[in-house]
Amino acid sequence: MDPMEAIKITFFQECEEQLAELESGLLLMEAGEADGEVINAVFRAVHSIKGGAGAFGLDDLVRFAHVFETALDEVRTGRLAPDPQTVLKPMLRAADVLADLVRVARDGGTVDEARVLQIAEELKLASPVAAEAPGEDMSEIVFGFAPPPFLGDEPDGIAAMIGVPWAIHFKPKAELYANANEAGLILRELGHLGEIALTLDTTALPPLESMDPEGAYLAWDIVLTTERAESDIHDVFEFVDGDCELSIEAKIAGDRPSESADPTSVEPPLDVMALIRRVQGGAESAPEMPASPEVAPPVIVAQAAEPAAAKAPARAESAVSSAGGSTIRVDLDRVDRLIDLVGELVINQAMLSQRVMEAGIAGASAIGMGLDELEQLSREIQDSVMAIRAQPVKSVFQRMPRLAREVAAMTGKQVRLVTDGEGTEVDKTVIERLADPLTHMIRNAIDHGLETPADRIASGKHPEGVVRLSAGHRSGRIVIEISDDGAGINRAKVREIAIKKGLIAAETILSEEEIDNLIFLPGFSTAAEVSDISGRGVGMDVVKRSIQALGGRISISSRPGKGSTFVLSLPLTLAVLDGMVVSLGEQTMVVPLTSIVETLQPKAAAVHALGDSRVIAVRDTFVPLIDVGQILGYRAEMLKPGDGVVLLIEADGGARAALLVEAIQGQRQVVIKSLEANYRHVPGIAAATILGDGRVALILDVDAVVAVSRTGEPTSLEPQFQMMA
Amino acid sequence: MPAAAAIKVLVVDDQQTIRSLVRTGLQQIGFTSISEASDGEDGLRAMLSPLPPKLVISDFNMPKLDGLGLLRAIRAHEPIKTTAFIMLTGRADTDLVKRAAQFGANNYLVKPFTVATLKEKIEAVFGMVT
Repeated sequence: MDPMEAIKITFFQECEEQLAELESGLLLMEAGEADGEVINAVFRAVHSIKGGAGAFGLDDLVRFAHVFETALDEVRTGRLAPDPQTVLKPMLRAADVLADLVRVARDGGTVDEARVLQIAEELKLASPVAAEAPGEDMSEIVFGFAPPPFLGDEPDGIAAMIGVPWAIHFKPKAELYANANEAGLILRELGHLGEIALTLDTTALPPLESMDPEGAYLAWDIVLTTERAESDIHDVFEFVDGDCELSIEAKIAGDRPSESADPTSVEPPLDVMALIRRVQGGAESAPEMPASPEVAPPVIVAQAAEPAAAKAPARAESAVSSAGGSTIRVDLDRVDRLIDLVGELVINQAMLSQRVMEAGIAGASAIGMGLDELEQLSREIQDSVMAIRAQPVKSVFQRMPRLAREVAAMTGKQVRLVTDGEGTEVDKTVIERLADPLTHMIRNAIDHGLETPADRIASGKHPEGVVRLSAGHRSGRIVIEISDDGAGINRAKVREIAIKKGLIAAETILSEEEIDNLIFLPGFSTAAEVSDISGRGVGMDVVKRSIQALGGRISISSRPGKGSTFVLSLPLTLAVLDGMVVSLGEQTMVVPLTSIVETLQPKAAAVHALGDSRVIAVRDTFVPLIDVGQILGYRAEMLKPGDGVVLLIEADGGARAALLVEAIQGQRQVVIKSLEANYRHVPGIAAATILGDGRVALILDVDAVVAVSRTGEPTSLEPQFQMMA
Repeated sequence: MPAAAAIKVLVVDDQQTIRSLVRTGLQQIGFTSISEASDGEDGLRAMLSPLPPKLVISDFNMPKLDGLGLLRAIRAHEPIKTTAFIMLTGRADTDLVKRAAQFGANNYLVKPFTVATLKEKIEAVFGMVT
């Protein structure tokens, strides 16, 4: 790849990070919780975007970023108070526009010119001082500044040509004179360095009668304008160091009258030795950055030595930020290759174990124990490798405040978005594919969930609605909750719509939970009754499908007047799965362990025929019995309950079903191999895997099998599947 | 100027983009030994290595320790005191260039820059023409 193209890709990736930093910083500022470093980071984010954009000739971006940066500089230097309404609101809008400009620069397309201009005007209005700053055009600013001529052999660098003023305070102690030094000579030597202005300070001079003839009472304030470096000034005082009070400070001649109030122009004292000690202390942990090879799209890898997130649910905070910033960027392909290899390793190790077992070698033998260790290590390697792909959900969560602002503005609702658990780590692919469903659900929560401020006040609520987005680990899965404190699902209306759309029969009796779940049915929401915001031709069925595609589940709970909560439960990784290996006719299949509630040996008496289908009595309830071998077309005839084993499973939305299989072979961790990538999508089958003995086994898509069995067409999966067999 | 390939360069910027741009430019000029640091402290750490770089090209505004701090630390630490230092600035900031000069910067470079400008500045610092 052309090196400039590669750098450009890096630039856009950095832009995303900086935009995120910008937004979160501005939100902190809005909440009045920002310190100087946050404000500086916000400034730096815009400044960096501008700098990079300039290098690639992205003029629109540069122009807008410049206006934004100028306004931010006013805040940073304390010339402009960061008022939430008049300053920060426009700045948040400006951050949105900046993000749009970055996206247009990257992906093409057009940006709303009028909005860009309007927001730029808002920024200028918000920071009147900045607006007077000359030159909107970056190229003018950059090149309008004539570089001073430079003499390479002049050791003191650019100072030689500029001549800068220094403020020196010099107060000799008695020792100075006692050591045969002469203040006058020092001052004269100082004069040789440049132009000198002296002020004699005699305030410490006592009356003549009490004066000690060997004492020291005089002090000088000197302004030295010199072309020489600071070290040369220090050299003048070399021999009197310790025998005098001495301060040498850069004196900046400000162009603006307010310059002296500019905190950035005053250099704080710098304790270099302490700094060096600190830096050296961390030297072992953070070595010098090596020369980076050409990079394809990289992934940020935190140096997280901890095992996979599944084992450390408490590790909610991002390892990226806690690792002290020692991160490297690695080509994503390399990470994926590593994951593939580890997958092979796990399969291989399983095969080896099986061979050893078949050879009749005892588990307690040296070989057996060695194998146990190998298994342990393989697991650990796998966990560690998975942790590399894990990223905090923050990258998706941080897009939501902007969305909430926009939807709130369009619907006239007041909303406060509260996020929690942003440090929760999930597989990168999962995170990427979460963006769309989450976007849709947040839109829904505001558009459909929350009431208008007037309605809220009428029902005794705060006019500002709260939408909560949280993430966390729960029993080896990641759980994301989206809740609102709105009116809750209007069940009567949902039912009415479902009947009108022919999704349910008018006389169907449904529990509250079942009614709530109707919104996930395909065809429930159509463009006709959803507003502009939620209705982009996407209904909750699409959200549900995309969550399912990730191996996840979605459920809803709602309380009238109190609000609704959507809970997404997702696997931590898409690469491995704990499964129950079962026999189906001649075939071996894997059922994901997460969906299995319990296994039981059915008695023939517990099974009852119900038309074409069968149900099984499990304790006090009847659960539909699904003969998996038959439904997938492995067997024509039904399996007798007594000849098989039942897996009681919980499918999507909490629906239970009993899967009848021939036998259980065991429980195993399997490496998921996509069927779609290697063959094509097969209904009822989620993926494939390779077992320890080298056989290929298919992983059952439990939800799909249950859904098909519910439609009353037990063989509807068959035709497609027979092609496969 | 000694042959570019013989000079070890350190590029300090919190933006990977800028570091890569400077690196690419340096490579085109003929530099081969280029290391990078992402903030002033990181840069100072690199300078404290047994064979420190002879030329530092550093951004000004960075987290942890800014470019001016890095410059001051370098100029105050005897073993690396004479390292050539070029300050990168985002805009035509006369004050900043003046302050950099006060603390002993050898030159400055305004972003965005061309390879020709980069070359010119380095040549000026080393006082020779390649």
